Amino acid sequence: MILDIQNILIFKTNIQTKSAKKMVLEVLDNFDEIERSTIDLDDRDCVLRIVSDNLTTDQIISTIRSLGFECAELE
Amino acid sequence: MRIRDTNKERVVKEKAAEMLVEYGFEGFSMNRLARACGISVATLYIYYKDKEDLIKKLGVEIGEQFFTETLKGFSAEMSFKEGLKKQWENRARFSLKYPREVAAYEIIRHSSHGDYILTESMKGFKEAMESFFSGAIKRRELLPVSTELFWAVAYGPLYTLLRFHSEGKSIGGKSFKLSKKTLNDALELAVKALTP
Repeated sequence: MILDIQNILIFKTNIQTKSAKKMVLEVLDNFDEIERSTIDLDDRDCVLRIVSDNLTTDQIISTIRSLGFECAELE
Repeated sequence: MRIRDTNKERVVKEKAAEMLVEYGFEGFSMNRLARACGISVATLYIYYKDKEDLIKKLGVEIGEQFFTETLKGFSAEMSFKEGLKKQWENRARFSLKYPREVAAYEIIRHSSHGDYILTESMKGFKEAMESFFSGAIKRRELLPVSTELFWAVAYGPLYTLLRFHSEGKSIGGKSFKLSKKTLNDALELAVKALTP
């Protein structure tokens, strides 16, 4: 399995519903810099996972917060 | 810099299988798994998109391992008796060596990911078995039964005995340990039942 783990950003969020997830992913879809984004609704941390070469964690956090959700980087 | 650690990946897969068997699908969580592995949740998400992704990958990996082991020393050209004997040996060895993985695989197989992991992991295996099956019928070493009936009679006894063994008891709670002789006797009966 080839995976460039340097480009994967992981966040804890409070995106808990299917409709919220859909909305957030649609917004993230508009970023050309984002290769792929997923949200795990099954998990307690509602983990947002983003594959991107050049976006910073701060850019993601402010985007998610501007949509009205909590978002923090998971270390 | 984050460095990919294959040892860690091994631990994650082992613990994931263990957790799946112990808690089932519902009780399985990425948070719980990360804790059990002594790694951060973030690290787990580096490797897997989400819980579904992890479970699917685990299923495919166990499946591939199982089908590779099952084909060891086996050839579709073998006589029916020899071929089935090899299949029994390989399947029994795998089940006895990796009971936890087998149990986890069964759980995933019977979930909504069942078809996906079968298609992904069975590549090559299906062809070999079909050619073995039709060859044996052509040579009149095997009764021309349906594949379902074949499977039930050819492997049913093996998996029943393996289940008794893993539970440590058989019918009515009688204690049971699988011996080579019992396995051979059962194989003889299965071959006899399927031979014209």
